[in-house]
Amino acid sequence: MFLVHLWNYIRGYVIIIAKGKSVERFINICAKRQILLWNIVRQDESSIICMASARGFKLMRPAAKKSGCSVHILNKRGLPFFFKGFKKRKGFKAGLLVFGLLFILFTSMIWEIEIKGCEEATAAQIMELLRAEKVGLGSFKMKLDPKKIASQILIDMDDVAWAGVEIRGVKLTVSIESAVEKPEIVDYSQVCDLVAERDGLITGFEVLAGSTRIKEGDTVKAGQLLVAGTLEAKYPEFGTRSVHAMGRVFARTWYEGRLPISYEYVRRFRTGERHENTFVRILGAKIGLFGNKVPYEQYEIVSLDKTMAGPFGTRLPIGLTVETYYEIKEKVVQLTREEAEELAKEQARQKLLSQLPADIRLLDEKVSLVTDDSGKEYVEIILECEEDIAKPVPIGGD
Amino acid sequence: MKRSNKQAKQKSEKKSVLSMGERLARLFEIPSDVIGSRPKVTAVGRGEVLIENFKGIMDFKEDCVRINTSNGVIKVMGSKLTIKEITSEEIIIGGKVSNIDYDA
Repeated sequence: MFLVHLWNYIRGYVIIIAKGKSVERFINICAKRQILLWNIVRQDESSIICMASARGFKLMRPAAKKSGCSVHILNKRGLPFFFKGFKKRKGFKAGLLVFGLLFILFTSMIWEIEIKGCEEATAAQIMELLRAEKVGLGSFKMKLDPKKIASQILIDMDDVAWAGVEIRGVKLTVSIESAVEKPEIVDYSQVCDLVAERDGLITGFEVLAGSTRIKEGDTVKAGQLLVAGTLEAKYPEFGTRSVHAMGRVFARTWYEGRLPISYEYVRRFRTGERHENTFVRILGAKIGLFGNKVPYEQYEIVSLDKTMAGPFGTRLPIGLTVETYYEIKEKVVQLTREEAEELAKEQARQKLLSQLPADIRLLDEKVSLVTDDSGKEYVEIILECEEDIAKPVPIGGD
Repeated sequence: MKRSNKQAKQKSEKKSVLSMGERLARLFEIPSDVIGSRPKVTAVGRGEVLIENFKGIMDFKEDCVRINTSNGVIKVMGSKLTIKEITSEEIIIGGKVSNIDYDA
């Protein structure tokens, strides 16, 4: 029933009042001519009120004439009449057009980029790559070729085994499969010795193959033979056999570093002056709202970003950025002896630690102050560690 | 059942001759409303009367609606009668129906 009403509403209908001597004849003629009438109510002795389709109403004139009735429209209802009112409204039509265009425009851009299948560091790299390729929020879908982007990622990034780029709707999804590190293939057929990588004092060893030439407590120099790949039999008549020597030799080693002490230190500090700039970010473009050029020569920036949230917790690429500039001045500060020493020690330690290999065990640290002949003061730091100093070196021949 | 009996009685009274088609229909037990030009009256409750296959409206008043059919005049009486829908094949009368009469 509702559907019928809806249909009538969409087509449009009129409410009319028919007056005349024989309204029944009028109704009969309408019915015969397939003009649909409904809700016919008798108003008074010579008039009825009914509803007729807008299309049918147009054909009603001759019917009314034939039956000698007069027909007047009481009301018009329906979509066609609704739209008639819009004919004059040019602004509305223009607005509708603009809406349509904007809609098409916005749905042909990328609004969200997702990188999945790898961890943060690689994801950041991929984002950089995309940015370099001019792929980002706001880029047009037509210009992007997913296959090309995928192959570009594979070319540029080493540890990616497979990259898939998919554009669905307004979302760009990059799926990554990280390459599993190739295990180091040790060629067991090649004969080699184990020699010391650096000087040290042997503390222990695990030998899997080869004959050991050292014992605990020995001091070895870099390059000294630790485990030989040639095995000699007990009975010399059996000759020698060559193997690929394998094992770990632990020794105490020392690393040293030296750094001059300076009593002056350039310290950066905030003067307390600050300046704020406010931006509106839309799809990566920054439009300045308040604030202008920064009046300080040297400054530190603290950025406060607020991004608008869409429905269901999504983040829209529209946000507000407030950048606060703190003026910085550099002042040369005189350090006291203790402070200078501390600073130099710390710097030396950091520098040395960065040079050490990964699998090392730190045992002890010795810091000393040294003055050389010209009077300059140095901080000398010696780190004592334990590590595996065995290094395989191939033997030529065999 | 009552109705068809009534109509059958009417028929025999009128002494109308059944056409070949109608006789065949009855032989094959085809439902009677499919064959022929006889009007069909469907009354739902006391608020709706559907009459199919009629010739035209003779009279339309608030308390009485008279429909002309091939078998005679059907008079629907009641109060606040309206015509809900009318097409060339059927008419739906709404309102508070008190009588449905068959007049010759």
